[in-house]
Amino acid sequence: MTEKAKKAVVIGSGLGGLLTAAQLAKDGWSVDVYERLSLIGGRFANIEYNGYQLSTGALHMVPHGTKGPLATMLRELGADFEIIQSSPMAIVRMPKNSGETDYKNGYEDTSHVDFKKHLTSKNKLMMVLLTLSFNAGLIRPGKVGFKTWYSKYIHDDRIDRCADSFTGWALSTTADEVTTREVFKIFRNVYKYGGPGILVGGCQTVIDELVRIISSNGGTVYTDMEVTRIIIQDGKATGVIAGGKVIAADLVISDIGHKEAWEICEIDGVECGGASQVSGFSNPAFKEYEEKLAGMKPSAGLKICFASDEQILPDGCSLMLTPYTRRINGLNEVTIADPSLAPPGKHLVMCHQRTALDRLDKIDEEIELGLEDVKDLFPDKKIEILIVQVHHGRWPVNRAFSGTDFGNKTPVSNLLVVGDGAKGEGGIEIEGITFGVRDAMKLIRSMDR
Amino acid sequence: MSRCIDKMYVNSNCVGCSQCIVFCKHGAITARGRAVISKICVECRVCISYCPMKAIQPGREA
Ligand SMILES: Cc1cc2nc3c(=O)[nH]c(=O)nc-3n(C[C@H](O)[C@H](O)[C@H](O)COP(=O)(O)OP(=O)(O)OC[C@H]3O[C@@H](n4cnc5c(N)ncnc54)[C@H](O)[C@@H]3O)c2cc1C
Ligand code: SF4
Ligand code: SF4
Repeated sequence: MTEKAKKAVVIGSGLGGLLTAAQLAKDGWSVDVYERLSLIGGRFANIEYNGYQLSTGALHMVPHGTKGPLATMLRELGADFEIIQSSPMAIVRMPKNSGETDYKNGYEDTSHVDFKKHLTSKNKLMMVLLTLSFNAGLIRPGKVGFKTWYSKYIHDDRIDRCADSFTGWALSTTADEVTTREVFKIFRNVYKYGGPGILVGGCQTVIDELVRIISSNGGTVYTDMEVTRIIIQDGKATGVIAGGKVIAADLVISDIGHKEAWEICEIDGVECGGASQVSGFSNPAFKEYEEKLAGMKPSAGLKICFASDEQILPDGCSLMLTPYTRRINGLNEVTIADPSLAPPGKHLVMCHQRTALDRLDKIDEEIELGLEDVKDLFPDKKIEILIVQVHHGRWPVNRAFSGTDFGNKTPVSNLLVVGDGAKGEGGIEIEGITFGVRDAMKLIRSMDR
Repeated sequence: MSRCIDKMYVNSNCVGCSQCIVFCKHGAITARGRAVISKICVECRVCISYCPMKAIQPGREA
């Protein structure tokens, strides 16, 4: 470029923000990332506690592992990282005797592949037929909740529980809170890219690499710098106010969600908490956008991290789904992949439980139920609870329930949203963020032309 | 008037993410659904800039 590089401001140093910033910096943009906290990485950063590498959110897990969208994008950017695939992909803990609804009388751990042996031949056949029909486009269940849809064809408590356990662990939703279309897209991606893996060094490895790539391409990540305004003039974002200073920009990227970004927009000198309500802004595009924003719900979840003197899962397998607990949907034993995430001789396990939004006011009870689950799951293991983490509202598991994201665009053409409020279809968590970033980069590159 | 020294307090924005705990080098914070700051807090204010919810404030709850 002979002329001065164009300036991009990224609000928030979460995974979506950093992935976008790294690509923009490599494309020749002058990039500033502003992070409000003293910590880079948002809900994808390590926090060290008594020698354990815990995290601000994620279970150090990449849903589609080494061959997935995130790993591919990171390799394209030149990042140095390693993901250890879970093999088998997952273990499902079933009660010892069929007909039982908990693990009190013992359990049987089966690999997800062998799980089918727990089903009747009729239901096995039905599952195959439904998947084939969906893939061939013969059935189009669309926006119906997954459980409502399959219950028309299959009645089996084991399938219901496993579906809830999978969506609870992967998306922090029940199987009915996610659309059938989204579930099939997710299955298709599991088939296409493979199952989960754990990052060696945890989430921080990816964050540190992205910061390195941004810096080596001339960009800067500022911490302790809150963006308090996005300045919009004549329908275009002209810059932001960060750390009290006006920073001019040709492009503004929000990694803080759609709603949160819209709230701090100042349109033609008028603060906009809801632009459509401000007289003078009769723009129908604002109204339509705000209606969509109102429908976006963040998902909630509870994470219990514990240490054990003994290894919990078999060698190679870092994921267990637990369909017969009261609350815990699944857990990752992250030290199976990288023992250095815990002090020598210790093992680190992160359990996840979806939390119903109407139970948030009874969070103490939800925590107790999760802690009882840990005891029931591992009655013979010496366990030390390290930390209990709740995520909801403005620091959620997911800013938009999977399948309800509505893309990167805002009514302002050069203000785009990335992160888990703008995931691409069929993308579990950070893989969805990656799809969203890929789409945002396509938009930016086409604007640039 | 109370002679109690005003320490830090956690406002109702707190979601219980426990992020602040690890940054308090004095071990003054615990959290089970909501953070609680104990008397051993030395008011160094380090935790404030690690809370994603702006939930930690100096002083006492009104
Ligand atoms: C308990 C839990 C477990 C999870 N497990 C996994 C997992 O194992 N695998 C997986 O793939 N995903 C997982 N996820 C999801 C994943 O962690 C998130 O989707 C992802 O980290 C979100 O990234 P983001 O880009 O949306 O940004 P965020 O992480 O939300 O980052 C946004 C950043 O913006 C900053 N910010 C906010 N406002 C401002 C402002 N005004 N100015 C400047 N900065 C600002 C914030 O401080 C924050 O650092 C999990 C999430 C949780 C909570
Ligand atoms: S970091 Fe903030 S929101 Fe999280 S537990 Fe601490 S005070 Fe609460
Ligand atoms: S002010 Fe300092 S001592 Fe007090 S809780 Fe925060 S970090 Fe701990």
